[in-house]
Amino acid sequence: MNQMTDLSTTDTSPMLRVTDLSHRVSLETDTLTILQGVSLEINRGESVAIVGRSGSGKTTLLGLLAGLDTPTEGTVSLDGAQISSLSEDERAKLRASRVGFVFQSFQLLPALSALENVMLPLELAGMEAPEVRAKELLERVGLGERLNHTPRQLSGGEQQRVAIARAFASDPVILFADEPTGNLDNRTGQDVSDLLMALNREQGTTLVMVTHDEHLAARCGRQLHIEAGILTEPELAREQAN
Amino acid sequence: MAAKQKLMSVRRDWRERDVRVVLVALIIAVATVATIALFANQLQRTLVSSASSFLAADRQLEAENGRPVPQEWIEEARGRGLETGQMVEFSTMVFGESGFQLVSVKAVSDEYPLRGEIEIQSGMDDARQIVGAGPGRGEIWVNPRLLRLLELEIGDSLEVGNLELEITSLLIREPDGGFRLSSLAPRVMIHVDDVAGTGVIQDGSRVEYVYLFAGAENVLDDYYQWLEPQMEPSHEWEGVRDGETFSRSLERAERFLLLGGSLAVLLAAVAVAVASRQYALSQRDTVALLKTLGLSSKGIGGLYLRRLALWGIAGMVGGLLVALPLFWILVQLLSDVLEQPVDFYLDPTALVPALFTALVSLFAFAYPPIRRLRHVAAMRVLRSQPGETGREAIPDLIIAILAVFGLVWLYAGEVALVVSLLGGLVILLAVLALLGGLMVAALRRVRGGGNAWRLALVGLYRHRQASMAQMAVFAMTLMLAATLILVRSSLLDDWQAQLPDNAPNHFLINIAPEAVDEVEAFWVERDAPLDTLYPMVRGRLTELNDQPVQEAVTKDERVGALNRELNLTWMAQLPADNEIVEGTWFADGETEGVSVEAELAEQLGLIIGDQLTFTIGSETVTEPITSIRTVQWDSMRPNFYMAFPPGGGLTDMPSTWITSFHLDADNKVALNEFSRRFPTVSVLELDHIIERIQQIVRQVTQAIEAILALILAAALVVMAAVVSATLRDRQREGALLRTLGGQQSLLARSTMLEFALLGFVAGVLGVLAAEAAVYALQVRMFEGSFRWHWQVMLPIPVISALLLAFFGRWQLRPVLSVSPMLLLRRLE
Repeated sequence: MNQMTDLSTTDTSPMLRVTDLSHRVSLETDTLTILQGVSLEINRGESVAIVGRSGSGKTTLLGLLAGLDTPTEGTVSLDGAQISSLSEDERAKLRASRVGFVFQSFQLLPALSALENVMLPLELAGMEAPEVRAKELLERVGLGERLNHTPRQLSGGEQQRVAIARAFASDPVILFADEPTGNLDNRTGQDVSDLLMALNREQGTTLVMVTHDEHLAARCGRQLHIEAGILTEPELAREQAN
Repeated sequence: MAAKQKLMSVRRDWRERDVRVVLVALIIAVATVATIALFANQLQRTLVSSASSFLAADRQLEAENGRPVPQEWIEEARGRGLETGQMVEFSTMVFGESGFQLVSVKAVSDEYPLRGEIEIQSGMDDARQIVGAGPGRGEIWVNPRLLRLLELEIGDSLEVGNLELEITSLLIREPDGGFRLSSLAPRVMIHVDDVAGTGVIQDGSRVEYVYLFAGAENVLDDYYQWLEPQMEPSHEWEGVRDGETFSRSLERAERFLLLGGSLAVLLAAVAVAVASRQYALSQRDTVALLKTLGLSSKGIGGLYLRRLALWGIAGMVGGLLVALPLFWILVQLLSDVLEQPVDFYLDPTALVPALFTALVSLFAFAYPPIRRLRHVAAMRVLRSQPGETGREAIPDLIIAILAVFGLVWLYAGEVALVVSLLGGLVILLAVLALLGGLMVAALRRVRGGGNAWRLALVGLYRHRQASMAQMAVFAMTLMLAATLILVRSSLLDDWQAQLPDNAPNHFLINIAPEAVDEVEAFWVERDAPLDTLYPMVRGRLTELNDQPVQEAVTKDERVGALNRELNLTWMAQLPADNEIVEGTWFADGETEGVSVEAELAEQLGLIIGDQLTFTIGSETVTEPITSIRTVQWDSMRPNFYMAFPPGGGLTDMPSTWITSFHLDADNKVALNEFSRRFPTVSVLELDHIIERIQQIVRQVTQAIEAILALILAAALVVMAAVVSATLRDRQREGALLRTLGGQQSLLARSTMLEFALLGFVAGVLGVLAAEAAVYALQVRMFEGSFRWHWQVMLPIPVISALLLAFFGRWQLRPVLSVSPMLLLRRLE
């Protein structure tokens, strides 16, 4: 733990390092390869978009980078920790303190109010005065008036704002976003992505995002293109296409 | 409120449909079990106190050795807070002015009777009176026959031994009399303190000391625990259950209540298991999110465990809040039926099984699927993961079966019951699996179309997994309900057959052979024809295969029947309610042999061909055993241990005749005339006892109906819960079908048909499984014979089909009333 804290304060090492990552799932009859030989590095403070067609493996890659799942082969190290060799509970602990998420389908708990949804990760990480921090963040995303509304009472865009507030609540060093605007109309999507990018800048968080949205992808510092489970830098891909 | 705490708040949970189902199932479970336990407890108390009056106490201690029991035994009982009383019974001669007569004396203490009442008359033509105590010192109450035999009147005095006592009342009925026909001498009752003054009891006199005890069941049991090691072989502890007549009725009633309780447990288990599995499925997204947010599996496990505990508490409290008023209502109903107030008795220990059931239901049935939530992949937040295949539920099933087995065993204490029920369930599930496979194969060929039938069949196929699961639960529920209905009807039929309205309720004893025709004519004239008349010869069994019977039979096997005179008879026809278990009944004209009652034969180790020697007066008769037969002791007809053929060994022995017959209450005045014309014939009035038994049967019937209603209600809720488990999917599908252009009426019809088919098949299966379980139960537990019950069974599949069609239509209601777009959005 100490070592990890040390690493996070020094800016020299990359935030994410992936080496020779492969992922396969066994089906009833045969094995399906989803990712093949992926290697990449993402530096601290960088914002990276993972783009590719449906079924190309980008969501799987995001899950593996975030430690939601473990790869069949290869290693993932996040903020200096070899997450591919950690147990599930160790990974959960790591997520609680350093990782934030934004999902396409918002993933708010319907039983909890906006405020409580944002408080939840703070409580799970054992932070003090979670309510103060949660309120602050909800005000920051423009929902200061709607603290006690449940997700059902909020529009899609509002729900995603709550989710963004939640993602930044525990001061993550890295934020993973899975199609954050995928379920929103253009205008709302624009607002939400503005908010996401702005908060990302303010907090100095590393951002890894899966998206279809070319505009959104273009706002990221770097784009990783993935095709049939194989990673290509977009420049490279374009050259090959030409 | 902190978010994490709020996640575990029961109030918050209550807003989620699945949790509501789990909680309602739990509340029903606790309420049903608690109500049954409380009511069964109350009923048993009422029954026991009803039946106790036949002993004039809750328990009797009989000393047949002619010696009183040590005084400290009685002191001990009093010290434990039991009520006690004493009786001394012996036979002696009494002397009036005009003659003497052998009487059977019952001397009672002031406390007699501890239970029940005595009925007396202060003059031949006076009204009958009910009193709560026996005669005082210096008084004697006598049977009316004695007055006639000795030409005495009330107020005259009668000499008993050295003592002169005043006749103050006619003794009509004593609570603990009437079942033994062994004493044919007229009964007199005196005070126990007068016994010594009579000087009748000498060393070696035939006298029986009887001690009466009454009090709380557990105190009585504890006292018996203390007493038993000190008792001698000639001491007998008799409780209501050991009594002759309704022990069987009581036992069956108890068993039925236990069966009902066990079925309630099973139903509860099914409901909780179904609902919690559904709940666990719906929680997977939340768990995945919590994991993503950094909660460890241990944290998840703890979160849900605490949640279960909270549900458990809510279920218990809610269940008891339902059970207590329900119990109160049942007790009121009971007292209405009995037309007498029932003292409301709430035994807290009766609640223990209910609370225990709640805990087991939660942890054996609800916990396993919820426990598996820990293994939900965090990755699920990003994309749906392969769902549960059902294979991981196999350990759950094993745990559930073990838990059911344990619970029912604990509850009913009957291995046979558990095995029958579980056997029925296993057969049911096996048939269901087979049938399900066949059905799926058959339905695969059906193609959709505009026809409601086709749509319904396609629907069944499309939802085959859910349909099979629902069918299994429906069939199980129906099986349990049908089992109960079946057992109930055969139990009631049995009782009805045992004591029909015209059951004999009077005995005539001591009819002289030459008076038989005259007596018979007397009653025929009065429209109360007699049952079969039997000759009765008093004799003792003295030798077994030419060896004195006391030596031939070891001490342990010595039974009361050897110590007293037996009633022997001869008869040509085997009585209808007797049954030959070994050997053959006397052929026409056969004069050799004797038929022995089965229990006695077993106790004495008698087999066909054994030579029995009887001493009758100064003569002896020796005959081989030619048959062994069972006897219905509670038939209210004369029954005999030993029966000879007509013209056999008893022919020339001095005999009197005995019979029983039914006499209506409004015809009872004829008894006075009869007694005047036939003063030497004893009339034994059993109509009170029969009425009492019929009353008990009514109580038990009422209880059974009430419990049945409760369990059927529980079954209904289980079915509703299971149907609503797939509510969301069904509604979404319905909305989609409507969006795609399905007509409302077609959708409604096909859904109702689909559910009706499901209900019908489940009904048929449930009924068949119930028949199987009842077959086992009937044969093993209730000692009845098995028959098919078409009239009960046929409506069940139909009712179940209609009910499910209704449920199906009901859950489709929002789909049909709201625009499809709104619906799809709402269901998102």
